[in-house]
Amino acid sequence: MAGLSFDNYRRNKSLEASGVLPPKTTSTGTTIVGCKFNGGVILSADTRATAGMVVADKNCLKLHRLAPNIWCAGAGTASDNDKVTELESSQLEIHSQWTGRAPRVVTALTHLKQHLFKYQGHVGAYLIIAGVDVTGSHLFSLHAHGSTDVGPYLALGSGSMAALSVLESKWKEDLTKEEAMELCSEAIMAGVFNDLASGSNVDLCVIEKGKPSRLHRGYKQPNQRLQKQRNYNFDIGTTSYFEAGSEVFYISKQSDLETSAMEVDQVS
Amino acid sequence: MSNPSEINGGSAVAMIGKDCVAIACDLRLGLQSVTVSGDFEKIFQYGGNFVAFTGLATDVQTVSTELRQKHALYEMVEERSMEPNTAAHLVSSMLYSRRFAPWFVGPLVAGINSTTGEPYVCSFDSIGSMDVSHDFVVTGTATNQLYGMAESLYEKDMSPEQLFETISQTLLCAADRDAITGSGGLVYVIEKNGKVTKKLLKSRQD
Amino acid sequence: MSRFNPYGDSSGGSSLAIAGADFAILAGDTRHSTGFSIDSRDQSQIADLGDGLFLTSNGFSADAKQLVDDLRTQIKWYHHNNNDHKLSISAAARTTMMLLYGKRFFPYYVNPIMIGMADDGTGAVYSFDPLGSYDREPSRAAGHASELLMPFLDNQVTFANQLDPQTGEPRKRLDLDLQTAVDLVKDAFTGAAERQVQVGDTLEIVILTKDGVDRQYYDLRRD
Repeated sequence: MAGLSFDNYRRNKSLEASGVLPPKTTSTGTTIVGCKFNGGVILSADTRATAGMVVADKNCLKLHRLAPNIWCAGAGTASDNDKVTELESSQLEIHSQWTGRAPRVVTALTHLKQHLFKYQGHVGAYLIIAGVDVTGSHLFSLHAHGSTDVGPYLALGSGSMAALSVLESKWKEDLTKEEAMELCSEAIMAGVFNDLASGSNVDLCVIEKGKPSRLHRGYKQPNQRLQKQRNYNFDIGTTSYFEAGSEVFYISKQSDLETSAMEVDQVS
Repeated sequence: MSNPSEINGGSAVAMIGKDCVAIACDLRLGLQSVTVSGDFEKIFQYGGNFVAFTGLATDVQTVSTELRQKHALYEMVEERSMEPNTAAHLVSSMLYSRRFAPWFVGPLVAGINSTTGEPYVCSFDSIGSMDVSHDFVVTGTATNQLYGMAESLYEKDMSPEQLFETISQTLLCAADRDAITGSGGLVYVIEKNGKVTKKLLKSRQD
Repeated sequence: MSRFNPYGDSSGGSSLAIAGADFAILAGDTRHSTGFSIDSRDQSQIADLGDGLFLTSNGFSADAKQLVDDLRTQIKWYHHNNNDHKLSISAAARTTMMLLYGKRFFPYYVNPIMIGMADDGTGAVYSFDPLGSYDREPSRAAGHASELLMPFLDNQVTFANQLDPQTGEPRKRLDLDLQTAVDLVKDAFTGAAERQVQVGDTLEIVILTKDGVDRQYYDLRRD
């Protein structure tokens, strides 16, 4: 990520000095968990994105594919998670093309932690990384400052306390795939219902040795919107508008070079 | 007042209908509580893509112009029109490239994919987090008011005419409960066949 | 050194009231939260003051509770002094104002809404700011989701920004029937619960008519 521009930094800093607050960014204010089982590893996440106390996205995907055999779940700043995982997935692909081998989970982990450490925690990505490779199945967590943890089960995000309460009381060794899926979704549901910043659905991803990874989008959907009492379609003509100042025009399906050239000229 | 995104005021909303999509914005430009202009359009057209920018007016103008340059270059190099999802990813990249010194804008992208015919709306925060929605997206100083209106009024599969009424009522009533959004409204309804209906709304001027 | 802050952030959810020609509705969700934690999913915030008066006060919940206690005391004294005469809503509203303004320089951190039947038999909604400024209104929302609820009420109760397509004139305000009003309350809250994380669990609706009081409960999302 060599291309980050700091052009506005001094301007924004001087605005901040005059009492200006930095803008609200979308946070995944999240519950994410990971859990190993005999034969693979599972990642699970809720699907709510918040901006303060308002829900910005009711069904966002917090499980990111880094490689076909390595996935990660992200908590923290939404755009940092999107971009950092997008970048890592590209670099892992290049790396595996270069080496001619399937990427290893520790490669992704080490690479990501070195990147995040470089930014001293300002890139707000808090990740749980899971995958299977030639050395077995792995589960790691990674904090924005660059520290990492290893464990048979992990939880991160604002709902991690709720999720961990389930994991700590119900996790046992040698879980089957089905048991681990149930445990993970139950842990996420604890976050969904008890942490205000987590909500909506449960997404789940199963990564197994020798099998393609399977993403269960909307694995559990316990918060479907109820049917409204009334229909609020308005009679046509309810809204008043100026005839002058209103117009109808068509956009060309395939704009050719000439149109583009004209658009350049249009800039005043 | 101490938030750069709330100095000039302004809001926008986009909604998906059946084979159509609509995007609307208010027309106010203010300096804190003083209204400076009532014809500050916040929706910009890039081929078949309509992008609304709310936030700090100077950044709205800068980013919208930079996007015009990037869009024109894309069409020249690629020799094809830009699809709405491509435009959205372009906006996202532009915003994230300034992750640690952001533009104070909250964009929306609306359009119809020319190959699949699928309507597309997407919103962003100031550092490029994308929120692709299957119903509606909102942005600006009246975000809360717009969410309240849209969540209650929105119905699936609205016709272009229906969609105009719903998005207009959403914008107008939300604007009336936000002191720094209003002074008129502008609505674009884009249909699958490329027909665009632009309407200038009559609204309270206070 | 940080100074002691007398106001906390624990708060009841949101509330909403609609006045009709012969009814008044007061509704509120039963979620009580502090920060990102839920304290209770079943905390009624609608206080029955007696004399057919109901009150919600959103904001700092300790102050809200104290305001209700103050009002109950005032109403009890009114009964003692006036041979158990029923306190009218207009008088109750003024009493609320006196209580709130009495604490002008250490205010109760609340936005109260009171409903009752007015002397002429119409439904009445009175809303207050924390210092006691008050007014009788056709509808009002307060609390965390007030910004989401209020424009919807403007649009659907007073028909703001709507024209009658036949005449081209602003759509005439007609008196809502009770069922429509209850439906509006439910839809407003399900919409708010979708987007405001502090709104949820159960919606409690108090419906006041000349025949008495009806309480209804309606499920909201619990996440």
